[in-house]
Amino acid sequence: MLNSISYFAKLVAELAKFPGVGQKTATRLAFFILTQPQEEAEALADTIRDLKRKVHFCPICFQMTESDPCQICADPRRDRNLLCIVEEPQDVLAIERSHAFKGQYHVLHGALSPLDGVGPEDLKIAELEERLQAGEIKEILIATNFSVKGETTALYLARLIKPRGLRVTRLAHGIPLGSDLEYIDQGTVGRAIEGRQEF
Amino acid sequence: MRILNNPAIIIRHLNYGEADRIVTFFTRDHGLLKGFARGARKSRKRFGAALEPFSEARLYWTEPTGDGLAALKEAELTDLHLGLRQDLDIISLASYACELVEGLIGEGHPHPEAFDLLKALLDHLNHNEPTWEARLLFEIRLITLAGYAPHFLHCSKCGITFSDRGIFFEAELGGSLCPQCLPGRKVLSVSLLTLGSLARSLQTPLTLFEGFRFSSQTTREAHAILEQILSLHLLHPLKSLSLLDRSMPLPSA
Repeated sequence: MLNSISYFAKLVAELAKFPGVGQKTATRLAFFILTQPQEEAEALADTIRDLKRKVHFCPICFQMTESDPCQICADPRRDRNLLCIVEEPQDVLAIERSHAFKGQYHVLHGALSPLDGVGPEDLKIAELEERLQAGEIKEILIATNFSVKGETTALYLARLIKPRGLRVTRLAHGIPLGSDLEYIDQGTVGRAIEGRQEF
Repeated sequence: MRILNNPAIIIRHLNYGEADRIVTFFTRDHGLLKGFARGARKSRKRFGAALEPFSEARLYWTEPTGDGLAALKEAELTDLHLGLRQDLDIISLASYACELVEGLIGEGHPHPEAFDLLKALLDHLNHNEPTWEARLLFEIRLITLAGYAPHFLHCSKCGITFSDRGIFFEAELGGSLCPQCLPGRKVLSVSLLTLGSLARSLQTPLTLFEGFRFSSQTTREAHAILEQILSLHLLHPLKSLSLLDRSMPLPSA
């Protein structure tokens, strides 16, 4: 029946394209939009339009930005010798929240995944090599995830970058702050013991 | 609803929604299955690292429903195979092995021997360098377990036992061929030594990967033979091959 209301069906079809959103959720969301005041629905439409018009990926680090280059790449106070490589734009936000990193970023937009056929040419790796060519970067911090895909990417990058004579570091892994040792899985505990430090 | 449990090897996972995962896992007694792990990305307590590819774990699940997905309830990690994740070439070979199991052993068909074979390879790679010998042994053993073993030491058409010269191979025609039984098209020319090595490797224990050494000629010929058999029986080309080919180039002559 809902299909006979073409504008509604069209919105459901558009919403169902979102990752993790099926027909049922899309229909619920469409109903929600329909029941909102006119100005709320228009504000949503305007925001989506503005996002596509004004937000793009920085041509240097490939992070989301409204300026060109992004604020971090343009900031003279950031350490240009230190480059942190992450998988996705949201990983930059996670590291920035820590206020512990003062270098620059490079977003790969994915991770190597042999089983899914995702190779180096599908990521921003050629662009990374171009940045390294410029010679300003002295240390690379690989901050890909600690999953098989993230580790595969880290190993590939290390193999690619080390021959250039740069310092290559990897984000430390171990016991999360505030957690109980008895609930931590064997892999994490094993890595934490391997990476123990002088106290 | 009945909860099943079995040792399993995680083949791959796919993030779904905000915190869930769809996991492909190969169990010893229930074969290859797909399962839905609700909240697997958010809560580290229930599944931890047990759903990472190459992990070996005892999984608990309820039988697949209409959508074909088992509901994963719990996982007890047996072996994370941490050594596998520390070398790009090892990851490439382990990924290839997992994808090959997916390609040759269909979903839901119990195959305990194929499970033991994959487990043995992952255990081997956890502590050893990836070698062409390990790859070829895994391939020929899995091909045999899947029921696609070709004729090696006698002509697949006339049955004659080979002397040392003029031996050919064509997977589509059942395996090795003598010069009299050749089809009217170009086929692989192979040596008796390579066919003997492949046939002998099938006499060794399924889970043994140490102590084998193939010459570069045997490796190249065996690869050509197995590649032909695999392309005949796999429905799609394997995605993991692009990285594996870069990681493990064929030895030169």
